[in-house]
Amino acid sequence: MTILSSLAIVTLAALIHASFQLSISVLTLLSGHAIGAKHSTARVVKLTSSFVIGAGIMAVLLLAFIALVVQQTFGGDAPQLVWAVACGLMIGLGVAVWMFYYRREKGTALWIPRSVAHYLSDRTKATKVSAESFALGVMSVIAELLFIIAPLFLSALVIVQLPGTWQLVAIGIYGIVSILPLVSVWALISSGHKLSDIQKWRESNKSFLQFAAGSGLIILGLFTYVTKVLTDTLGGF
Amino acid sequence: MSQLIDVVKRQGKRPTETFTREKLHASVVAACLSVKTPAGQTEKIAEAVCDAVIDWLQIRPEVTSGDLRRIAARKLHIHHPDAAYIYEQHRIII
Repeated sequence: MTILSSLAIVTLAALIHASFQLSISVLTLLSGHAIGAKHSTARVVKLTSSFVIGAGIMAVLLLAFIALVVQQTFGGDAPQLVWAVACGLMIGLGVAVWMFYYRREKGTALWIPRSVAHYLSDRTKATKVSAESFALGVMSVIAELLFIIAPLFLSALVIVQLPGTWQLVAIGIYGIVSILPLVSVWALISSGHKLSDIQKWRESNKSFLQFAAGSGLIILGLFTYVTKVLTDTLGGF
Repeated sequence: MSQLIDVVKRQGKRPTETFTREKLHASVVAACLSVKTPAGQTEKIAEAVCDAVIDWLQIRPEVTSGDLRRIAARKLHIHHPDAAYIYEQHRIII
């Protein structure tokens, strides 16, 4: 696998990560509470910025941690079986996302345990300072782990094959791309857009987002299976 | 209000609370402010919604928090559809 194709896989995996919506939901809710509690615009921006930074740092730390575990366990090149498992995970999760990602009801409620959703919702309401907001960003990424584990794992497998400097570049790319939607929503809120408009857009496009996330997982899973597992097994076409 | 009204929260999973106008008022104000409504208009809308909801509560000694939210959203929709949308969505965003 060339450096360019490795970076392309990491970028697509990060885009799939970015298409998951839990962190965006929490950010929307956090902004609503902060504005509704009559905080100044500067404080709202500070709280939401801390949230985005927390989510970004947690995504990078998770990826680096998984890559380290993969490196320590399998060295620079994981066995074919592990690649096949990663591809299977991507395809299976893709089908699951197509079927279950959003709850079949009004709004943008997700298929995560209701106790976790209520906990995040209550913590969002209780968040008053930047440190809490940062921790909430971290928490929202952990709560989404069920969905993001597949792109993280596949990216980790790809990253450990790269030379040292390129590993850092790939992790950086993943971190930046995975928080792009959060940064977009943060920019919209900071520039004074109404929350209702953002939430209406999210609600009316939720089926598309669900389809895109599921399709992305399946396509990347199949692509990696063909380029890495099949090609290596058959010795090239 | 002359009588106490119990609000059953999250299908009984959290302790029942007594209805307070202040709490409803604060929640409507928060919804209006979150869609950039001016403070003066927000206060007027919140008062109108609280009056309408209390009117609806007159013959009900016990309501669920979901019912309360639904009725408040319906009354709020008359004055400010965007705020009503955010008010309704609050529990179904995550």
